[in-house]
Amino acid sequence: MLPLDEGLWAVTQEVPAAEFTEDALRSRLADQRQLEESARTHHAVVTAASADGPVVPLPLATLFTDPHRAQAALNDQRPRFLAALDRLTGRTEWAVKVYLRQRGEGRGEAPASSTSTAEASGQAYLKRVRDRDQQCRARQDAALNAARHVHDVAAGYAVASVQRRPHGPEITGRDRTQTLNAAYLVDDAQAPRLVAAMRALGHAPSEAEVEVSGPWVPYSFAEAPDAAPGAGGIGV
Amino acid sequence: MTEMEFSPESSYAPGPSTTNLAEILERVLDKGIVIAGDIKIDLLDIELLTIRLRLFISSVETAKKAGIDWWETDPALSSRAAEHSLALENKELREKVEALERKASRASRSPRRRAEEDS
Repeated sequence: MLPLDEGLWAVTQEVPAAEFTEDALRSRLADQRQLEESARTHHAVVTAASADGPVVPLPLATLFTDPHRAQAALNDQRPRFLAALDRLTGRTEWAVKVYLRQRGEGRGEAPASSTSTAEASGQAYLKRVRDRDQQCRARQDAALNAARHVHDVAAGYAVASVQRRPHGPEITGRDRTQTLNAAYLVDDAQAPRLVAAMRALGHAPSEAEVEVSGPWVPYSFAEAPDAAPGAGGIGV
Repeated sequence: MTEMEFSPESSYAPGPSTTNLAEILERVLDKGIVIAGDIKIDLLDIELLTIRLRLFISSVETAKKAGIDWWETDPALSSRAAEHSLALENKELREKVEALERKASRASRSPRRRAEEDS
C-alpha cells in the first residue's frame, strides 16, 4: 500500500525491473497464457481491494520506475481519482449479454437454380431474392429488437451504460450469436432488481438468451463519461 | 510480435471460464483510469489492438454470415448506416438488372437458335 495525499492509497507491487522492460512486457502480454494469468491476477487484486471500500481500477501493467515516481504521478491524478470515487461509491458494474440461438437453416443458397422454364425463372429468381432478403431483414429486426429491449430494461435500473462490440464465436460457441454486450453502472439498492429483471427476460419464451454477471468493480465507468477513451494521459 | 491465437481452431473451448476471461480482458486491459506510467504504455495499445482484432474481427464475419450485421448498420451504433443502406439498395438493383439481362438474352437467343435449326 502506497500512501497518497488526501487519504488516498494506491495498491502497488514491486517487480524486478529487468522482467518488466518494454520488450519483456510486450512478449509477456502477447503470450495468451501469461496474458490470462496477468489479467486474472490483476482482477483478483482489484476485486479484493474493493472489499474494503470503493476503488478506482487502473489498467493492467501501469508501471513506474520507483515508489516516489509512482506517488508523484498518482498524486497528479488525484482530481480524477476523487471524481471517479464520487461517481462509483455505492455502485457496481453489471454485465449483460444477449445471445441469439442459431437455427439450422442454410442461408445464401444459390438463388438461380434453374428447374423452372426460362420464362418463369427471371420472376422466380427475383422472388427468391426478395424472400431471402425479407427473411434476412426480419431476422435482423428481431435480433435488434430483442437486444434493444433487454438494453432498455437494464438501463432503467442503471445510472450509466456502455455497449461493447459483441464477442465472436470462439467465445460464445458456434451455435449462438451475441447481439448485446453491455455494462451497466448500478446503485447497490437497484442491483437485485436488475438481476431479477434480466432473469425474467431470460426465461421469457423467445430465441434470445440473456446472461447477467456481476457485481464487477466498475472498470468500465472509472473514466469520466465525457472523457474520450484513451485521450489524454497516455504518452504525455 | 508474437502472434496471438484466438481463432476457433485454437485451444479455447467455449465455456463459462472463457466467457469470463473475455469479460475480464475487456475490462482489465482497456478500462480504468489510464495514467502515464514510466514504461511506455502505448506499447500495450498495440497488443490491445491485436487482441481486439482477433476477438472481434471474427465476430463481425460470423455475424455477417448469420445475416446479423445490425450493429454495423444500426444508426445508433454506426455512422456508416446510411452509406450501407445505399450500398445494399445498389446491390439489390444490380441483382435485378442481372436477372433481367439474363432473361432478355435467353429470350433473344432462342428464336435465333430456332432459325439456325430450320436452315
